[in-house]
Formats: sequence, C-alpha cells, structure tokens
Amino acid sequence: MKPPFYWILKALLSHYWRHPWQTLFLSVGLVAGVGLWSAVQIINQHAEASYREAQSLLGAQASYWIRSRRDEGIAQALYIDLRRAGFRQVFPLVELEVSTASGISISIIATDLLALPDDAYSGSDDDQGFADDWLEFVQPPYRAWVPAALADELGLVSGDRLQLRDGRLLPPALIQSQEQQGRRVLLDIGAALALASSDRFSYLVVGSISPHEYKRLASQLPDHLELIENQQHVDLRALTASLHSHLTAMSLLSFAVGLFIVFNAVRFSLWYRRATLLDLRLMGCATHQLFSAILLETLIWSLLGTALGFVLGILLAHALLPGLGASLQSLYAATVEAELGLSAKTVIQAWSITLLGLIWALSWPLYRQLQQSSLEAGSSERMLRDESSARRWLALAALLLALVAGLAYARIASVTQGFVVLGMMLFAAAWLLPILLAAGLRLVAWLVPRKSLTLRWMVSDGWSQLPAFRSAMMALLLALTANLGVGTLVDSFRDAFVGWLEVRQSADIYLRAPRLGFQQLQASPSTASWLADSHHRIGVTTRWRGRPTLVRGIDPRAPDSLVLPLSRWQGESAALARQTWREQPGKVLVNEQVHFLAGVLPGENIELQTDSGPRSFEVVGVFYDYGNPYFQFYLPDQVVASNWNHYYSRGIALWLNKDSDDAMQQAIASLKALGAQPGDWISQAEIRRLSVGIFDRTFAITAAMNGLTMIVAAIALLASLLAILQERLPQFAQWRALGLRQGEQLLLVATPLLIFCAIAWLLSIPLGALLSWILIDKLNVISFGWSMPLVWDFIPALQLAGVVVVICALTLLLVSFQWRRKMPQALAQLGESI
Amino acid sequence: MLSIDNLSKSYHYADVRQDVLSGLDFDMAAGSSIALLGESGSGKSTLLHLIAGLDRPDSGEILFAGHRIHDESESALAEMRRHRLSLVFQQFHLIATLTVLDNIRFQAALCQRFDPDYEGELVARLGLVTQLDKYPYQLSRGQQQRVAIARALLHKPQLVLADEPTGNLDEASSLEVMGLFSDLVKRAGSSLLMVTHSQAMAAFMDRRVNLHNGRLAEIE
Repeated sequence: MKPPFYWILKALLSHYWRHPWQTLFLSVGLVAGVGLWSAVQIINQHAEASYREAQSLLGAQASYWIRSRRDEGIAQALYIDLRRAGFRQVFPLVELEVSTASGISISIIATDLLALPDDAYSGSDDDQGFADDWLEFVQPPYRAWVPAALADELGLVSGDRLQLRDGRLLPPALIQSQEQQGRRVLLDIGAALALASSDRFSYLVVGSISPHEYKRLASQLPDHLELIENQQHVDLRALTASLHSHLTAMSLLSFAVGLFIVFNAVRFSLWYRRATLLDLRLMGCATHQLFSAILLETLIWSLLGTALGFVLGILLAHALLPGLGASLQSLYAATVEAELGLSAKTVIQAWSITLLGLIWALSWPLYRQLQQSSLEAGSSERMLRDESSARRWLALAALLLALVAGLAYARIASVTQGFVVLGMMLFAAAWLLPILLAAGLRLVAWLVPRKSLTLRWMVSDGWSQLPAFRSAMMALLLALTANLGVGTLVDSFRDAFVGWLEVRQSADIYLRAPRLGFQQLQASPSTASWLADSHHRIGVTTRWRGRPTLVRGIDPRAPDSLVLPLSRWQGESAALARQTWREQPGKVLVNEQVHFLAGVLPGENIELQTDSGPRSFEVVGVFYDYGNPYFQFYLPDQVVASNWNHYYSRGIALWLNKDSDDAMQQAIASLKALGAQPGDWISQAEIRRLSVGIFDRTFAITAAMNGLTMIVAAIALLASLLAILQERLPQFAQWRALGLRQGEQLLLVATPLLIFCAIAWLLSIPLGALLSWILIDKLNVISFGWSMPLVWDFIPALQLAGVVVVICALTLLLVSFQWRRKMPQALAQLGESI
Repeated sequence: MLSIDNLSKSYHYADVRQDVLSGLDFDMAAGSSIALLGESGSGKSTLLHLIAGLDRPDSGEILFAGHRIHDESESALAEMRRHRLSLVFQQFHLIATLTVLDNIRFQAALCQRFDPDYEGELVARLGLVTQLDKYPYQLSRGQQQRVAIARALLHKPQLVLADEPTGNLDEASSLEVMGLFSDLVKRAGSSLLMVTHSQAMAAFMDRRVNLHNGRLAEIE
C-alpha cells in the first residue's frame, strides 16, 4: 500500500486530469508569464555576453586606435613604416557602410589577416573552416565571409556575389561566422580597398602595447594622426543599460499579467476542489498535510511552468532578437549575435520567480480555504461574503500603495526606482478595480429602467460573476494600460522624431567624400545649376564628464542652424538664443543629454579642453537630440577651427535648388563627375527612411510584447468565463428548464462581462496616459537624457476597445460551444434531482 | 467507548444567541448502533460534528476511545478521524476526480489499514464489482452511497457517524442500502451513530434516542 501522502496528492492532482481546461489555463498563465519574462532575460543576458565578446571584436580589443584627425584615412606607406619600425601589434582596418541593391545597409570590415597579432583573432585558430579558407580569402577573386544570420537576411547562399546599389559586386560569399565578426561582412583588406576605390585605410589598430612602446609609437606619428585610447567596451554596456532596463520592466509587466491568470487559475482550482479538501479533512487529513501536498503540487507546477515557459521564451527571443540586434547595432554600434545560449542562472531565476509567483498567487486563497472550519469550507455563500470583504481590503491596499507611489514619485533617481514606482501605481489601479467594478455594476443597475425585468436580472447576475472575473479584469486592465501607455510613448517618440528629423536634417544631401573637399565643391562651376547652399561641418571628438563627446562646428548661417529647435534657452526666446550663439564666440548650444544627464542649465558655463588649454563657454540653449547616446556641443565652425587645430571634417550639407525639377539627378551626376563615389553621399529621404526603419525595428519588440500581453489577458477572460460556466451549469440548466433560450442565457453572461470590460477600458485610459507621462517625463529622461512632448491620441484607445469587444465575442463564442456540449447532461442531471 | 458529559453548544445569529445543545449527557457502548432522531434544527448534525471534532463545544466534555475530544489539537483530531472514525453523509462526499476503486480505498490508504479480502467482500456485498473503474458521476445516487459506505468501513473504524445516509435515495433503495449498511457495520465490529428522520431507518439500529431542547431522551 502506498503511503498516505501519495493518496492525498493523488486526490488533489486528479482534479487536473478531470478538468483539462483549468490545467490548460494554469499552464498558459505560467508559460506565458515565464515565457515573456525569460525571453527578455535571455535577450538581455545574450546581449551582455555579446558586449563582452565585442571587447574581442576585430579591432575593438585594441588598446589604441590611430586615426586621421581630419577623417582622411591613413596612407599605406605610414603603416608599412610602422611595421618596419617594429610595431608588430599594429594592423590596418577598413570599415565601409554600403547599401545592397535591395536597399539594405550593411557594414563591411576588412583587415590584413597576415598582419594580425596572435591575440587579435584568437577565435579563428581552432576553426577548421578558417584554416581551409583563408588562402582563398586573401587572394583574388577573394571571398566575402558573411555571418549565417546576415546571409539569411540577405537571402545569400555560399558562392553568391552580393550586388550593391551602385551595381558593384562583393567577392563570392562564404557563409561563415567568425565569433568576433558580429553582423559584419568580412573582407580581405585588398578586396575592400578595391571596393572603396581607395588606397587608404580607415584607421590602424594597436594591440597590446607596453608604456615604453606607446611613447615610442606616439613620437613617430605625424601631426595629422592621433592615438586614441579605446574605451568602446565600457561605453557600450553603459549606453545600452537603459534599453535593457526598459525591456526587463516590460517583461516583468507581462509576467504580472501572466500572474493574474495564474492567480485566477489557482483560485479556481482551489475553489473547485473545496469538496475534495473537505472530504480529505473529514477523513482525517491534517491541515499541514494538505498544505504540504499543495506545496508539492505548486513545486511541480513551477517546474513544468519553467520548463515550458523557457521553450516559449527561447522561441520568442529567437523571433525578437534579429530586430533588436539590428537596432542595437544601428543605435549604439553594439553587436548582438543571433545564436542564443542558456545560462543556469537564467533557468534558476525563472524557476524561482515562477515558484514565488505561484506561492504568492496561492497563499491567500489557500490560507482562506484552510482557515475556514471544515463545514463552511464548501459554502458558496461564504465565498460571496469573502468577495465583498476582499474588495474592500484590496481598495484600502490600493489607496495605500498609490499614496506611497505618489510620495516616492518626486524622489525617483534611477530607472529601477522609476519602474518600482510605476509598478506600484499599476498594481494600485489593479487592486482598486474590483471595488470600481462593483460600483459600476450598482450604477448600471440604478440606470436600468425598473420595468425591464430581464435587463435588471442580467445586470444583477453580475454580482455572481464578479468573483470569477475579478482577476481577469485586473489582467485586462494591466494589458490595456500597458498597450495604451507604451503605445503613446512610441507614437509620441515617432512624431517627435520624424518632426525633429525634418528640421534638423534639412539639407537635401549629406556628402562625406574623401576625394572631394569643400573648397573644390564650391569652386566647381558644375554645381551652379542645382546647388542652392552648402555648408561644411567639422568636429572634434573628446571626452567630457567621462562620456564620449562631439564638439561640432557649424556654419551659423546654414539654414538648419538658423531654425535649430531648442527645448530650453537663455533669454526671451529660442530665436534670440540662436542669434546670441551666432554672434558671440563664447556661447555654446548643448544637447538635452548634457542638460538632463550632466545637469547643465542655460546660462551656466561649461569648460572644454581646447588645444590652448581649458576654455569656458556659456550655454545659451539646449537642443533636442533624440536617440543620441553621446554628449554634443554646437559651436560656430570658426570657433571650433580656432580652438582645435586638428578638427576633422564631418561632411558637407548641400541644399538643392528648389526651382530645378531634376536637381537631385543633376547633383548626383555632378558629384560623380567631381570624383565622389556612390555611398559617399546620402539624401535626406534616405536618412529619414533609414532612421524611421531603425526606429520601427527598435520598437518592434514593444509591439510584440503588447500583443502578447493582450493575448494573455484574453486567455484570462476565457478562463473566467469557462469557470463560470462550469460552476453555474446546474443553475443555468434550471433556467433553461424554465424556458430561457440559449441566446438569452449567453446575454446573461455577456451583459455583466461587457459592463466590466467597459469599466476596465475606461480606467485604462487615464492610467495609460499616466503611464506614458511617467515614461516620457521621468524614465526616458533618466534613461536616455532627452525628453519629448507627449502626444495623446484617442484613436488607439478606441482601437483597443474594438480589440476588447472582439476578445469578448470570441470567448463568448467558445463558451457557447461548451454550453451546447454540456447543457444536455446538466439538464438530464437536473431531472434526476427534481 | 463514547461518553458525553454536560455538553453545551450555542450559535449566534445577528446578535441572537441560539442554544442548540444544553447539558447533554450520552453514553455509547462499543459495537452498538444508535439512531439519533429529532426535529429539523434540533442539533442532531451539530452533535455529530462535535463528536467528530469538526466543531468545538462551548462547555462539557466528549470522551472517545480514551481521548478528550474537546482538548485535542487539530492534528490530533485529524489523526483520530483518520484511524478511529468514519463519516457518512447524505451528499456522499466522494472525490469526483478519482475512480470508484480509489475512492473506496482512500481512507484505508490514509491510515494504512488495508485488507484486500475485506475489500473484495465489501465490494461484492455492495454490488460494486463492475463499477470499480468508473468515476462517481457515472454512477446512480444509490451506487454512490454504496461507495461511500464501502469507503467508510474498509479500514474498520471504531465508530461510524452517519448523517442521513440514505436521505438522497428513494424508499426502496434506502431500505436496501440501510440493511446492507447496518449489517456491514456489525461485521466490521464498529459502532454506528446515525442521524435520521426516518423511523424505518431507525428500526435497523439497536437503540433510538430523540434530541429535543438540547437534550437526549431514550425512545422505548
């Protein structure tokens, strides 16, 4: 005979065999919650690993870089001289950004494999493919090594030659991922120089170097070259931390929504097993034994939920990673590999939060169930009484939580604190919902005409349905709020970003051609017919307050600098601040990152390190700078040129003649004739397309999370409806016996459901606005250092109302099928007991 | 075996006190069977619940098999119910998600007192041989009550407490089930205290007592 505990556990678990729907919902809640959370964790951890890996990325592991101060590249002769002087740790790199014929931007990196120091490409030593192919790689016709994920994206197979927009072809592709290659196409340096029609390297990389060797190298470099310490890996993690925090917060929100389903399912599973629990207690099972059995059951569920949740998480991470990886590369030049790995830490974390989530969901209902005396444990009247008191307690807890969140709001100083306050506000709203649902039901009941008995009955039946719908409505509220709040954030950002692009990037063409200088362009008579205005952009890179910083030199008369949008300024107006900046050499414009992250206000002075020592500039305005992770200062170009001898060119902005219909075609023909290569220029339309593309890719993950959260909430609704059906089937059967039609019966369930959904939707509108406001006003500023105006649009809220109606219709349809199946048996049993 | 001394129990409904049992005395010998009769609301079920340790008296004491029920802890009461008691209710209280066989074996499994021969005898006597793999909802009410009886007796408890065990059955089924029930209780060597409204059912018992105004009186 098996031990008593086995029998207790068997009796409790047998419930799930006999009620597959509940088993399914509990699983779905767990799997969805764990899946969404773990997907983001996997992505974050994977990105972390990739950033670590990026330190060993070809070139990125460099101790120092040798760059041209004027962005003119490095002559091969200099490289050869350095090698001859014994600097074996120096090797060349060429980096190119090109567009494929189908318009996809790809990065090309090229080096001289034979010149690499031992530690520069360590990952390839054990790679048999590398050993076999490297000879082909370095000899004409060369090979282009394309990582598998990128090849998939481009539709390339081995041997294909990728065609670029200007018709040129890359060497035959070899689908091969070197770990440190990232998403870039790797070429031999000879192939890359031929492709770029250049004889200059982009820069030289310096591997490990002793202080003595460093001094010797520095002394041998000509003036126009600079030796820059490589701090890329440090910046990369810091720069992307906020993005990953946002993702984590969203995944926790999804987990919370999943938890509501679990809470619902656990509550229902205990409620349905109240008879079993009562029987077990009547037969002599002690409370602690029942508690232990349910704890073991919880453990089993947590393991199952973790295992299955992880499967979903990995699938989701696989689906979301390419878009996110592309965005990280575009925004921060951070490479994220497409291959995912699992760490034991993530698995343990997922299991722990699942177990804790389950225990949290289970603790109160179980405590109530086991606290009640044996005889009242099975009473449904007792449950209704409990429901009313639970509503009041929840409302009280909600008000306290909201109060704490309100007090904490002013003290938010970090992203984590911000999300904690946000979480408190959301939970406060969710806990307040039941009492609002009850109040709403009372209000509707009061509005219903006294004469309409049927309608009054349908509304009043809501009281019986409210306990079952409570958690599902909380989940729906959170899902709707997240959709509206995050949707508003993204829409506001998109509006602000696109509007800002139009003003900020007002030039029609941006030209960065090594072989075409500004003077040459201005002197050329061929530009007269199409060129309305042109301005040279120069810049100096430096570090300010520990961050990479760009000091840009802009012609103050350039059309875009005349209308540069400012968020804050010194003096009466933005126009006046711009004028001051144009006319007085000691004035500077700073981006919002300088204002928000470094706390600099208009009117204050900042100090910049110039060639002649530190120099103070007065801040007269703060300009919007969306998506830029760096500090940026704008100074008139003459000021930059006079303070920094080794400034470099940041390209030329060209404004086309508006009177000429074919100005763009003329411009391209003219630029080609002057020696510029395709790829040396980019049009405003192209910038906008690329920027918006990056933007949409970045927020694709948000849209996916929002969609999944709504699906999870829909499942919670379905679970509640089926629970109501199962619990009240004998009652419904009695009403059917009294002559109620199926349609009327469905309406009886649908009416309160729609009332509850309408209340949840109404509450989600201000809550969504509050969420987006906190995200924009606080978290965005803390995370990224820039702000934007909140753009509230009612249409997404209406669209969500439509989605809710569709969800209700679908769930009711499913329920009506169940009804059709189960009603005959319920009617038969009804006959038996009459 | 069972001795009740000066037992009182009252309930409060909206600040109104209702005395259900007041100074009740009662003794029951091992192996005997007693029918507990009384009007609705006279406290019959309350008395059963107090004996089973499902509720606590206001005053007085209940001694069962040497244990003072009212002084025992929750876990000790659970142990007592598991090993020495059985409860049979009008609503059967079968575990809906377990098979008939699992239901029958359940309490015997809990107290690790399982006699396969006796199980075979019970199942055969109660006519459940062909029903063992079914679930409770697939049985008629009479069959469900037989399963409840088999479960209550398989571990041979000292005392069976039954609350209207045939209240859900028609007259013919009631008589048939009751005959089997009282016979099987005797065969198991258990005592039986049964709450009933029916004189016909009470006739199966050795003694009949009436609960009125919170006290018991023997019916001759």
